[in-house]
Amino acid sequence: MLELKQIGYWYDREENSLFKNVDLTFETGHSYAIVGQSGSGKTTLLSLIAGLEKPKAGEIILNGQLLSQIGLTKYRQKKVSIVFQSYNLLTYMSPLNNLLTAMAVTKSTHEGDKTYAREMLRKLGLTDEQMTKNVQRLSGGQQQRVAIARTMCCDAKLVVADEPTGNLDEENTQEVIQLFQTIAHEQDRCVIIVTHEPDVAAACDYSYRLAHHEFALEK
Amino acid sequence: MNFFKRAWLNLIAKKGRTLLLILVTSAILLFVLAGLLIRNAADAATSNAKKSVGATLTLSANREAAFKKMRASASGDSTSKPEKPSLSLTPVKLADVKQIANLDNVKNYNLLSSTSVNASSFDAISTTTSSAVSANTEDGRGGSKTFADQGDIAISGVSATALTTNFASNGYKIIKGRGILASDANTTNIIVKSELAKQNDLSVGDTIKVKSTSGSQTYSMKIVGIYKAPSTSDTAQMGPGATDPSNTIYSSYTLANTIKGSKYKNTADSVTFNVSDPVKVEAVKKAGTKLISTSKYSLSANDVSYQSVKSSMTNIKSFADKIVWLVAIAGTIILALIIILMIRERRYEIGVLLSLGESRAKIVTQFFVEMFLVLIVAVGIAGAGGQFVGNKLGEQLVAQQTASTASSVQTGGMTRPNAGGQAPGNGNAQAPSGSVGRGGASFMDSSADKTALDVQVTPTNLAELGGFGLAIVFISIVLASGGILRLSPRKVLID
Repeated sequence: MLELKQIGYWYDREENSLFKNVDLTFETGHSYAIVGQSGSGKTTLLSLIAGLEKPKAGEIILNGQLLSQIGLTKYRQKKVSIVFQSYNLLTYMSPLNNLLTAMAVTKSTHEGDKTYAREMLRKLGLTDEQMTKNVQRLSGGQQQRVAIARTMCCDAKLVVADEPTGNLDEENTQEVIQLFQTIAHEQDRCVIIVTHEPDVAAACDYSYRLAHHEFALEK
Repeated sequence: MNFFKRAWLNLIAKKGRTLLLILVTSAILLFVLAGLLIRNAADAATSNAKKSVGATLTLSANREAAFKKMRASASGDSTSKPEKPSLSLTPVKLADVKQIANLDNVKNYNLLSSTSVNASSFDAISTTTSSAVSANTEDGRGGSKTFADQGDIAISGVSATALTTNFASNGYKIIKGRGILASDANTTNIIVKSELAKQNDLSVGDTIKVKSTSGSQTYSMKIVGIYKAPSTSDTAQMGPGATDPSNTIYSSYTLANTIKGSKYKNTADSVTFNVSDPVKVEAVKKAGTKLISTSKYSLSANDVSYQSVKSSMTNIKSFADKIVWLVAIAGTIILALIIILMIRERRYEIGVLLSLGESRAKIVTQFFVEMFLVLIVAVGIAGAGGQFVGNKLGEQLVAQQTASTASSVQTGGMTRPNAGGQAPGNGNAQAPSGSVGRGGASFMDSSADKTALDVQVTPTNLAELGGFGLAIVFISIVLASGGILRLSPRKVLID
């Protein structure tokens, strides 16, 4: 589904690349973990995969089409869904409106379908009352569940998550890991999670380690 | 959910910020509106002044040319016995008047012919001041003995009193009967001043008798009206050697000509032409000058009232323009700073929307919609308060302008050669000893009335204000969001 060919990224000089000549392939129906030490470039790679930034070298290919051809805005809108450590919800809205906004912006097949959005939130454990409260009044775990529900409401086959359990307790972490597995296996999507938590990496189908500017398949 | 709904949700969720934006925007728009209203009112007042104040041209004998002629004849006749030189002024012929009256933009004209007589069947009013003592004449009739040979009654012959500046704008009023009309030509109808009528128990319908200054002829005159003049104008008309202003009688110019003698038939001392559009006064003067003999006559323009009003209104308009621009510039800066801060605060939200794949244009449009909604409320508030602020500011400006113009006109009036006596162009008759002149004070009374601003908020004003507000908001948002939106989403979101 997604191919990274000879990808390289650096800030100022090529000699100081975070990584170089990276070749990775990701498929739908599977979950992938990218692990590594802090500052190794995991989040940067995720940004490139999420279309938040362009690689300095190499090409990203989605279903045989170059990402540069698709266009970053359209790619983010239609092809990829992102979950962040800090949830990145629209703070002036309720969980329900966050989902409806995402569905509208991404032009999801369920655009404007409140019942579907409610169903998703209910599936993820939010009560009807919580759905219409301001998101800031929910706990961290609940907010992360809303972010995941937002992903599930959109049609993107590629789901990327940056330290999605970073702010969660153990119980919530397990629940979130389970949700990502559901997304990958039941919804037949490709889930790529950047994490430094061994439990999360272990729960994924595949795990890549970034060390010394190179990726190695661990699992 | 589209950006309209997002904008609405944002405004509702952040009530405090929305209220602050509404207040700041209202304050800015309030002053912009006040400026716009004053500017429009000044425009309207200038336009009205054109219609109401008007301008005049005065055709009269060319005193300068006559004076030169007198000097030349005096020096050329050096062998003969030296004689007291006399100034020979040529009265204006009605034939010349009609030619000028036919020019474009000449609305109407007033023939002015003045003379003086002595009261015969009544007493003229005498005035005693600390500097000049008047006494009764030998026959017991009133008047100044010193100036008895000049006559104690001033006859101001006019085409119609309504056409004179005194009656049109200096506050002279007919209190009984009627004024002199064009139809009074070749009659002995007159109007007298209320003080003179009261002193002699005269009323409309009475007949009075006057004697020519030589005493050879007596004339009967029929009172058809009694007029009253503002007391300030009486004081202003008093001067050294002047008969009391109450002794001024208005008649048809034909009666004044008859008293002056047969050679004055079909003539006038001067003629005042009212020009319909004050802007055209110079063009009419130029055309009129071609029709007359400039060695005998002079045609002078008097648009001082219009120029004064125009000058006041131009100053007010210029001040209002400055208010509009200053407030607009300051408002744009203030609003832009607030919006910049607001948008910087919303960097995270922009990042989220960008990560979802929302276009930059739609994000900017969302901000614009938010500010547009704020603007609608602010325009409403400014519209409600703008008239009050505009009125207060306008009154203050007009008061200042009127005071400064009055001061300059009064100062100018002191040096004007005709300020006390014959006042070409001001529509007053030539009167003995300057009895019918006028000062700056009475002039400014009418001018001040005409410079009053009528500040009204109209839908057009509000639309204009809305347009102004939209421009300010647009510039502010473009300035504010440009910095953030040119960054990559990762920088906005993760960094």
